[in-house]
Amino acid sequence: MRRTTSDDEALPRCSPPPRPRRCRARPPPPVGEEAALAVADGDGAALGEDVGEVGVLDEVVEGVAVVEDGSIDSAAKRKGSLCQQVANSEGNKKTRYSRLDLPEEIWCHIHSLMAFKDAARATCVSRAFHRSWQCHPNLIFCIGILGSNFINKFDRIVKKHSGIGIKSVNFEYDSSYNTRRSTSISHHFDSWLHIAITPWIEKLSLRLSHYSYNVEYNLPCTILSDGRASSMRHLYLGSCSFHPTINLDLRSLMKLHLFNVHITGDELGCLLFSCYALEWLELEHCDEIVCMKIPKDSMEDDSIFGDSSNMRQMQEYRHDNLQSVVITCFCSAKSLIELTCCILDCTTSLEYLTLDTTRGVYSCSTGKHSQCFPMDKAMIPKANRAMLAIETYIERKVPSTVKLNVVKPCPRCHISES
Amino acid sequence: MAAAAAEATTDGGGKMIILISADGKRFEVTEAVASQSQLISNMIEDDCTENGVRLPNVDGDILTMVVDYCNMHAGDAAAAGDTMKASSTEEELKKFDAELVQALENPVLFKLILAANFLNIKSLLDMTCQRVADMMSGKTPEQMRETFSIENDFTPEEEAAIRQENAWAFDD
Repeated sequence: MRRTTSDDEALPRCSPPPRPRRCRARPPPPVGEEAALAVADGDGAALGEDVGEVGVLDEVVEGVAVVEDGSIDSAAKRKGSLCQQVANSEGNKKTRYSRLDLPEEIWCHIHSLMAFKDAARATCVSRAFHRSWQCHPNLIFCIGILGSNFINKFDRIVKKHSGIGIKSVNFEYDSSYNTRRSTSISHHFDSWLHIAITPWIEKLSLRLSHYSYNVEYNLPCTILSDGRASSMRHLYLGSCSFHPTINLDLRSLMKLHLFNVHITGDELGCLLFSCYALEWLELEHCDEIVCMKIPKDSMEDDSIFGDSSNMRQMQEYRHDNLQSVVITCFCSAKSLIELTCCILDCTTSLEYLTLDTTRGVYSCSTGKHSQCFPMDKAMIPKANRAMLAIETYIERKVPSTVKLNVVKPCPRCHISES
Repeated sequence: MAAAAAEATTDGGGKMIILISADGKRFEVTEAVASQSQLISNMIEDDCTENGVRLPNVDGDILTMVVDYCNMHAGDAAAAGDTMKASSTEEELKKFDAELVQALENPVLFKLILAANFLNIKSLLDMTCQRVADMMSGKTPEQMRETFSIENDFTPEEEAAIRQENAWAFDD
């Protein structure tokens, strides 16, 4: 007997701790066919029950796979929602279909897709919607929509959502409603983010209005420390300060976008240090960055030599103050070549570009260490490909004002040693 | 008979799968098309589709839409491996998607959502759910109930309290 239902279900969960699924495995069908399969799983959704009543569900047709509804772990039945009422109150199939409803989990999903104000209004529709609001995994706020006295209103909403494992937070702060001093706002931001950011958070977007000059918010890195950001995949910060000095656990972060953020190159380096999964880095108007060090490790990419067509151009990239760029573990990955070309094209202030095909860290050439930082044997051919890629695609793009420094594996420490 | 048909292969070499709706309608699709359903993809992996897959809670008219959708979107799923097959452009797909959901009213839209959820086709589920979310947009709770035949199961006191709590959402 094989199960075919997937563990990763179509719908996101509302509550953080995974609820044990109640599975009742059906005994193997009496037919000898290998292909025959029946799956009975979950509690049965509204429509699943319908079908059951008309007697199709329990029938295993020889040689034909019959699939019961396993994809919805319907909360409806337990919570006595509308679907159940529909199923209970209406006996015949025709009228049932005329009032076909969705299981509560699907409504919950729909609720999470609605604009925040609409979602809040929908809370008043029914008990099921009210429950769904309480476990709304996305806190999406343009704080402006709350109007005057927004702090108290927002405070209440955030506190209501505490402890449910919020997955996505999107705070937008519109300065036209700002009647308070920034210190007071900062204090509230801290407290809201402390509630909202838990290890379940997948997406954090915090944008203060570009024009909120009177608001200075410094996102404390402690909010993202202690594993609270370990599931975070997407981080957007707009018009605030962020000064990470400790190693934040951002192992799942795939996309990082900073807009008008006060952060230095070293701090960005510190931030990127633990971003093993990073696929996208976008920096706009981060004018304090004058030197950017990109630790590049274990990123698996398609090589530029596999397909050199259609190199992307990143248009929005502007760093008028960026003077020095260092990329370690430089390889022939297409995306990395694109990034480098883009840095060369768009950064008029650039003076130094260091492409390090080793792991960086330290080298014997400085005289401070007797040996270079070790390099895996397997990395040597990779480094050779990287050097070829630099010759082929990058060298000709380097303007005379930029000093290109290519760091090759050390003949003494890396090559002769192996 | 079903077995013979299901063994057939297309010109491209992709294996064909038969999907059978609740009312017995049969749909022959390629594995690539059917695999957009996570449910069927798992079944293909488990080798239990060769005699057809019966879907007792998806009606034929709904399955027609699902199959159309999957046929249309098979290109982008396969595009990573085979750019030649990506016949529909992104724009065409968007237009197709928009037309597919826009024309639907309840209960067909709900049935399509249930089918997408059951078959575990995430993109179709997201798109159809988004359509419902869009239909709720700008409506009062009364209008939402009316549009989707949702019963108000609050006591008047409860409803008043909840409205009070979310009063900000009623400002224009």
